[in-house]
Amino acid sequence: MSELQDLTAAVEKGNRKEATRLTQVLLDAGMPPLDIVESGLVPAMSNVGEKFKKNEVFVPEMLIAARAMKEAMAMIQPLLTAAGIKPKYTAVIGTVQGDLHDIGKNLVAMMLKGANFNVIDVGVNVAPEKFLAAAKENNAHLVGLSALLTTTMPAMKTTVDAFREAGVQTKIMIGGAPITQQFANEIGADGYSPDAASAVDLAQTLVA
Amino acid sequence: MNDLLTVLATRPLLCDGAMGTQLLAKGLTSGECGMLWNTGRPEAVRGVHDAYRRSGCNLLTTNTFGGTLSALERHGLAARMAELNRAGARLAREAAGDTGWVLGDIGPFGDFLEPLGDMTADELRAIFRAQAQALIEGGADALLVETMSDPAEAETAIAAAKDCGDFAVVATYAFQKTGDAEFRTMMGTGVGEAVERAIAAGADLVGANCGTALSFPDYLELARQLVRAAGKTPVILQPNAGAPQVIGGETVYLATPAEMAAIVAPLVDIGVRVVGGCCGTSPAHLAAMGHAVSTL
Repeated sequence: MSELQDLTAAVEKGNRKEATRLTQVLLDAGMPPLDIVESGLVPAMSNVGEKFKKNEVFVPEMLIAARAMKEAMAMIQPLLTAAGIKPKYTAVIGTVQGDLHDIGKNLVAMMLKGANFNVIDVGVNVAPEKFLAAAKENNAHLVGLSALLTTTMPAMKTTVDAFREAGVQTKIMIGGAPITQQFANEIGADGYSPDAASAVDLAQTLVA
Repeated sequence: MNDLLTVLATRPLLCDGAMGTQLLAKGLTSGECGMLWNTGRPEAVRGVHDAYRRSGCNLLTTNTFGGTLSALERHGLAARMAELNRAGARLAREAAGDTGWVLGDIGPFGDFLEPLGDMTADELRAIFRAQAQALIEGGADALLVETMSDPAEAETAIAAAKDCGDFAVVATYAFQKTGDAEFRTMMGTGVGEAVERAIAAGADLVGANCGTALSFPDYLELARQLVRAAGKTPVILQPNAGAPQVIGGETVYLATPAEMAAIVAPLVDIGVRVVGGCCGTSPAHLAAMGHAVSTL
């Protein structure tokens, strides 16, 4: 259906009006809401993510595409909820204790939503026990830890340790400006990604 | 304001290096707001400024990077915005004395401007203006709009600084390498556009600080592009102490004072007029760089 491709293109460009109009057209035509999400919206954010990784687009393009997707999702979500359809995977995400930076964490949350994850954002300056409680309460498949400061990186290790000591084997991924794969290995995290788009690829690998 | 620019026309100057890591070494705990030390542990902040001044730094940067109302709100310190900025400027002023210049430090407000975020340019200008005003009241000679990613935010901060009177305004962006000899900010802004917009908004000095994983050859190439884009406007560059490495679970910047001093002459040769340091630099790095500047 060409409207579906048009919807993908509209979200990718961040054209909110067109994205919501086409979503309504597809719903009116009787397309199942989940198909609109999986075949119309998710590919749009995936395309944006690919371009982001190649430095063809940057944070602003990512933000406006995500906003267009969010508005389309607002129309679809009540129908999914009514039909009892939930995203397959849940991710708990937050910035570690001592760190108040949220831009990177928000971008990753946004891109995970764009890949149809159920995202529980626990905010900034999050204590290890709060990550653990949120992961248990929401039966999370994945936990994402963010840090911008080199000085708060040790809090990532404390958080990973808290999960392992509690015997919780939820996959944990980490990211932020000073983070490297080597650091992820050292603290026993399951993965690291250098940017918000790669974080989605990693998340999908970890939950698969 | 002409004083700084006049002197700069005759010789290159040295700006200072990192503040946060120096305070951590003196016992600041991770997550604690470093600006609180401007009133709570003033002797420690003053000590860092003194160490940089003794290292030969002509320009001292106030400990007010996160000093906008919006950034302080996150620490629940919004009510103390003016007080903490004024105190920060006073400490740098005392250390700089009559022969050094104090740069009142203004960092990013921590979110996105409209249409990406909710903040309007007018609201943000008022926020930056309030911080700039407090810094000037505390004794700043010039204002430093630093680590910018969004040129619109930089323009807003520069305009707000200029609202406060005839003070020199320095504007620096944080760049990442996005291709072969190509640098952009997180928002995708290239060197040319970033520099041109800062100058058009009224910046008297433009350049770069920090940056994501840039090597010394990267900084030299970035310097060439900055100088080309800036035309007659003098350029400032404050590199990190090399690209960060992880050793034993700690992130460290490994460039030695001697290695940093070795890029001073090439940078000045390219046309950079103010050199300084960012992440991982210490008074020892700046002392070596200062020696390099003095022997040019």
